[in-house]
Amino acid sequence: MAVNRILICRDCDTVYRAIPLRRGDVALCRRCDAVLARYFGANVESGLALVCAAAIFFAIANLTPILSIDIAGIETKANVWFAVRSLQQGWISVAAFGLAFTTLLIPAVQIALLFWVLLFARLGHRPPGFGPIMRLLHRTRPWSMTEVFLLGALVAIVKLANWVPITAGPGVWAIAALTTVLALLGRCDPASWWSIVPAVKA
Amino acid sequence: MTALRQSLELGLILCRTCGLAVSRASLLDRRCPRCQSRIEQRTPFSTEMTLAWLIAGIVFYIPANLLPVMHTSGLLGEADSNILGGILEFWRSGDWDIALLIFIASVAVPFTKFIAIGLLLLSVRNNSLWQQHQRTALYRIVEFIGYWSMLDVIVVALTSALMQFQVLGTAEPRAGIAFFCAVVIVTMLSALSFDPRLIWDRRA
Repeated sequence: MAVNRILICRDCDTVYRAIPLRRGDVALCRRCDAVLARYFGANVESGLALVCAAAIFFAIANLTPILSIDIAGIETKANVWFAVRSLQQGWISVAAFGLAFTTLLIPAVQIALLFWVLLFARLGHRPPGFGPIMRLLHRTRPWSMTEVFLLGALVAIVKLANWVPITAGPGVWAIAALTTVLALLGRCDPASWWSIVPAVKA
Repeated sequence: MTALRQSLELGLILCRTCGLAVSRASLLDRRCPRCQSRIEQRTPFSTEMTLAWLIAGIVFYIPANLLPVMHTSGLLGEADSNILGGILEFWRSGDWDIALLIFIASVAVPFTKFIAIGLLLLSVRNNSLWQQHQRTALYRIVEFIGYWSMLDVIVVALTSALMQFQVLGTAEPRAGIAFFCAVVIVTMLSALSFDPRLIWDRRA
């Protein structure tokens, strides 16, 4: 049997009795200042809306050029996939895998899984495979590097602007928006997602 | 104000995956009753795994800096550039802000991680009571800065993607960038293996 209404600090293992939080509240560990819990404002509807927005921005970011250069009428475009492809050379492809994993696969999987979970929660059902999905979401959390890609694109613009006529495409804005939406979704801690999904009948 | 107590004293155990507090007595198969993930009082072999990944990171960091990360050819001839060379080039050409950014992401962040993780491991090994609060904060900083070192990999990849078959020149990735990518992944694994609760544990 699980003990409820008890918080345990992830960073120093101190035990607390949970109290209700109001909007904007953050519960901090008295011993090590770790965040124990945040007020969970996102309901299923707004969560679902954010996930849909993330999916749209992800699609735009990958279907439109992030950067393009135009020399004498010949245009070269680049997005996340082209960046991954350019690293595919012999055994340097290790880096291509690393980049594809952190900037394509992980964000895509996170968006898909969250959509699945929230869609079923919206319909009032416990999503099939909820436990494994939540474990996977927890595991993949540190490995999404969308915001680093955004910074990388900005550095590449400045770096190449001295040599070639380079312009930012719609993809840059989509990545910036995606970063924001994923950050908002990431703020909701996994424990809260458990509480909004109908419990399994024991 | 009541005394702060650790979960072990109260017969509780935390599921790090879903955040549930579980009573130890009810734990039958070392699985969280809510999310079914493995549940442990402390991450098994935390310091050993952290140290192993840390050493791997330091080893990979050497070729990542010695080998070229990019090869450019153009009207001005052919050139290999490595990470430090790239930073110096930006600095000399007046782009000090970009030079600083890449320096932070590619040099300062990895070094901070090496030193910070080494310090955490050493202090945990010595059962130190020294600055527990600050050391926990240090752990959180290491976790937060972890992935920003990927910046150079992304810049090289985008530059190579754009500078293909160009009249003004071409750019290709070189081996150094693969090692650099490995440094980022391996040091992230090192930080993720570390169990910060060890900082607060008092072992007799």
